[in-house]
Amino acid sequence: MDMIDYPDGEQFSPGHVACAGCAEALSLRVILNTLGADAIAVVPPSCTAVICGGYPLSSVSIPVQHTTLESAAASASGVKRSLNALGKTNTTVVCLAGDGGTYDIGLQALSSAAERNEDILYVCFDNEGYMNTGGQKSSSTPLNAITGSTPAGKLSRKKNLVEILAAHRIPYIATCSPAHLSDMSAKIKKAASIRGTKVIMVIIPCLPGWGVADDAAVKTARMAVDSGVFPLYEVEDGVDYTMTIDTRNQSVNAYLKQQKRYRNLSDKNISDIQADVDKEWEYLLGRARK
Amino acid sequence: MDRQPSPLWTNSSSLLRKTGTWRSAKPEYILSPSPCLGACPVNGRIAEWIGLLMEGDVKGAWLTLVDNNPFPAIAGRICHHPCETVCNRQQMDEAVGICSLERHVGDVAMREGWSFPVPEKEGEKSVAVIGGGPAGLSAAYQLRRLGIKVNLLEQQPQLGGLLRYGIPAYRLDKKIVDYEIRRIIDMGVDVELSAEVDDQHALQKLHDEFDAVYIATGASQSKALPGLDYSQSWVIDSAEFLSATNAGEPCSLGSDLVVIGGGSAAIDVARTARRLGKSVKLLSLEPEHLLPAQKTEVDEAIEEGIEFVTAAQMQSVSKDGGSLILECIRINFNQGEERGKFTINPVPGSEFQLRTDAIIPSIGQDADTSRWQSLLDSDGTVVKTDDCWQTSTQGIFAGGDVASMDRFVTQAVGMGKQAAAEIGYYLEQLLSGSPVMNANETEFSEINTNYFPAAARNKQADLEVDDRLQNFSEVQQPLAEDHALAEASRCFSCGSCIYCDNCYLYCPDMAITKLKHGYEVKSDYCKGCGLCVAECPTGSVVMLEEGQGTA
Ligand SMILES: Cc1cc2nc3c(=O)[nH]c(=O)nc-3n(C[C@H](O)[C@H](O)[C@H](O)COP(=O)(O)OP(=O)(O)OC[C@H]3O[C@@H](n4cnc5c(N)ncnc54)[C@H](O)[C@@H]3O)c2cc1C
Ligand SMILES: Cc1ncc(C[n+]2csc(CCOP(=O)(O)OP(=O)(O)O)c2C)c(N)n1
Ligand code: SF4
Ligand code: SF4
Ligand code: SF4
Ligand SMILES: [Mg+2]
Repeated sequence: MDMIDYPDGEQFSPGHVACAGCAEALSLRVILNTLGADAIAVVPPSCTAVICGGYPLSSVSIPVQHTTLESAAASASGVKRSLNALGKTNTTVVCLAGDGGTYDIGLQALSSAAERNEDILYVCFDNEGYMNTGGQKSSSTPLNAITGSTPAGKLSRKKNLVEILAAHRIPYIATCSPAHLSDMSAKIKKAASIRGTKVIMVIIPCLPGWGVADDAAVKTARMAVDSGVFPLYEVEDGVDYTMTIDTRNQSVNAYLKQQKRYRNLSDKNISDIQADVDKEWEYLLGRARK
Repeated sequence: MDRQPSPLWTNSSSLLRKTGTWRSAKPEYILSPSPCLGACPVNGRIAEWIGLLMEGDVKGAWLTLVDNNPFPAIAGRICHHPCETVCNRQQMDEAVGICSLERHVGDVAMREGWSFPVPEKEGEKSVAVIGGGPAGLSAAYQLRRLGIKVNLLEQQPQLGGLLRYGIPAYRLDKKIVDYEIRRIIDMGVDVELSAEVDDQHALQKLHDEFDAVYIATGASQSKALPGLDYSQSWVIDSAEFLSATNAGEPCSLGSDLVVIGGGSAAIDVARTARRLGKSVKLLSLEPEHLLPAQKTEVDEAIEEGIEFVTAAQMQSVSKDGGSLILECIRINFNQGEERGKFTINPVPGSEFQLRTDAIIPSIGQDADTSRWQSLLDSDGTVVKTDDCWQTSTQGIFAGGDVASMDRFVTQAVGMGKQAAAEIGYYLEQLLSGSPVMNANETEFSEINTNYFPAAARNKQADLEVDDRLQNFSEVQQPLAEDHALAEASRCFSCGSCIYCDNCYLYCPDMAITKLKHGYEVKSDYCKGCGLCVAECPTGSVVMLEEGQGTA
């Protein structure tokens, strides 16, 4: 059997207030333990902020700076430069942000940090919506998905943030899934070893936001990868694409059917989504082959 | 676990918050029977020993195997392996080659010379076992493990029963039989060879002398084919033919033979005769696709040049000079509802002749129940026993072919094991300690197949046909070491934890503690999400509503 292999530790504590079965808490466990004790986290408002904190208790062993939704990457740049000034150049500064704080409200700060190639690791927990505030759409919400602010399903497609970031020619971008924990840990480790701006996008099937069962976040993430909806890959220096998994073994159907946010999809919607996923997949494979 | 409160502005750890109160169901670790265990006639803990094999612990695998079956090298060669027909892995690709792995472990044990311990404490009680076939030897082995003295009486000059005198060497090398029997005898079994217990008086005597008696005399009488004159020199009893050949003194026959019958034994007779250089026809009532023999046996027999004359019946025999003429007719064979309850209708005008030198009828064996008539009730075919394998006379137990129509080696081994446990309980209220298992068999739906990469079954090679016919070398070849390991790792370990840590690592709440060998759920923090259960590859952890127990 395929064994999970990553250095587990005690960087993340029980008693946090993530929903039962939350894949974001699961991913935090892997990321924090992979980074170890010599790290500082910068966290904008998001589920992560709630999971890490709940004043005066903390579930995270490293220091966490809670910042504003607009400014995670800017705050992290400041923290990193301060540490450098203190001679603590080895400490990893990691942003732990949501998709709302990354694709939308914090995008200018991230773009500026990337343009300056600030030495930060930026992790985006992409649950495809503003979830801790009750589930509104973000520009990461996919086409047709129902959210509190798109009751008939979203009318526009999901923004391709990886391409935006790649256009900054930063040294490292990677996608991860909570169904592939060894891979997540390996990519975090690799990113932490690189100087400059690194961004890791983690797909997080949000249990209440997507409408999946308490025990199904990992399964849903696995289906997202296996169907090609959320491919696992790396982009180095903005141009070198490498597929982590370059095969798909299922259609999008089971993945979509499993989520209540897609409850109103017509057959036509499904086949359109499939066609789009197919096209994007081929495009990505083409990039990776070059 | 000592955790420092987090520094800086927050002043304490979230450990203070007991999120376990959110929960309505809690995971519980269970040991459940795999389907293969349920189907295995000795109830071998297959998932467990294959798991050990996977880890590279062959000795551990062997010890688990021989808990239920002292003959892994034998069973690994000739067991009818009903376990594989129910294997969960079939629903993904192909069944795990359980039997080939059992042989692998058995062969390693022989190579390494692993032996069974002599009982530490000798008890007061002693049991007479009549018959040294698989049933009798299995009972003797299990009785010795309980510290009970065993006197084994065998009418033949050597032990083994049909393992030695029935099953041909090209399927089961007699060196293997010698080895696995010797290992049992070395536990301190008193053996008397060429010691026939001829009748009910002799049985009564044993009953008086010993605390209990176990009868495992097999089914040694060949069923007679109606209308055939068995006194003729050209009619040869199949059991005699096989036993003489296995003993290295084949009967003298002409060059052309007709074997009558369609079961495994008939195929064994035919293939044995081929190896003696005969040309062989096999005449059966059943059409080829309904032959009771296994398909692989039929295929191998055809490869070896045996001519199948199926859906036909012999009606009479006449002599023509030096050879025989068999008058035969084609028939319509109707299988019927129950095994053995078939009907046949000759097809008018389809008569034909077969020319041959001798006939070997091989249509089944009956148990000799008449010799024990006044002591033991029988139903005409087998000795009657109750749920505890006890016959109509208290203190006399029976098993194997003499007491059952489940006529397979491992069935006999399983019956011997069960009878030994019953005898142990009858004599000394001894209880044998098998691990407690959850009642429900692990179903395919409980296996998370995402953790098992697709992999075709590692198949055993067969000897080339030309090489097979030269002698009695084993046809089926062992799995190479690396193939055995690869095959073992195809097993889902249904219902048996493999300590993969998935449950532990997937918990978003760090609510599982690793113990030295196992895991524990922290009630204070588990929110009851069920992720650990969903991502367990083997179905070894289940969600239970709060307050419910498993057993
Ligand atoms: C040709 C052939 C091939 C077979 N092939 C297979 C196979 O591939 N796989 C499989 O699973 N099964 C096979 N079987 C069936 C299997 O061999 C039997 O089901 C099994 O051996 C039964 O075990 P047993 O211990 O009950 O009887 P046996 O093996 O028949 O042993 C009985 C023993 O008792 C001794 N005995 C009998 N009467 C007395 C007495 N009065 N006093 C003292 N000793 C006595 C006999 O000499 C013998 O040693 C085959 C059977 C035959 C005939
Ligand atoms: C400028 C600004 N607008 C709105 C908010 C309110 N707010 C707090 S968290 C949040 C949602 C963030 O969504 P996302 O970044 O995707 O994180 P998630 O909750 O999904 O983890 C919003 C809208 C805010 N804190 N600041
Ligand atoms: S997968 Fe393994 S444990 Fe499960 S039924 Fe097959 S052999 Fe038995
Ligand atoms: S994954 Fe953790 S929190 Fe969820 S049921 Fe299992 S032990 Fe409890
Ligand atoms: S997940 Fe792995 S370690 Fe946990 S119960 Fe299942 S088999 Fe055992
Ligand atoms: Mg979000």
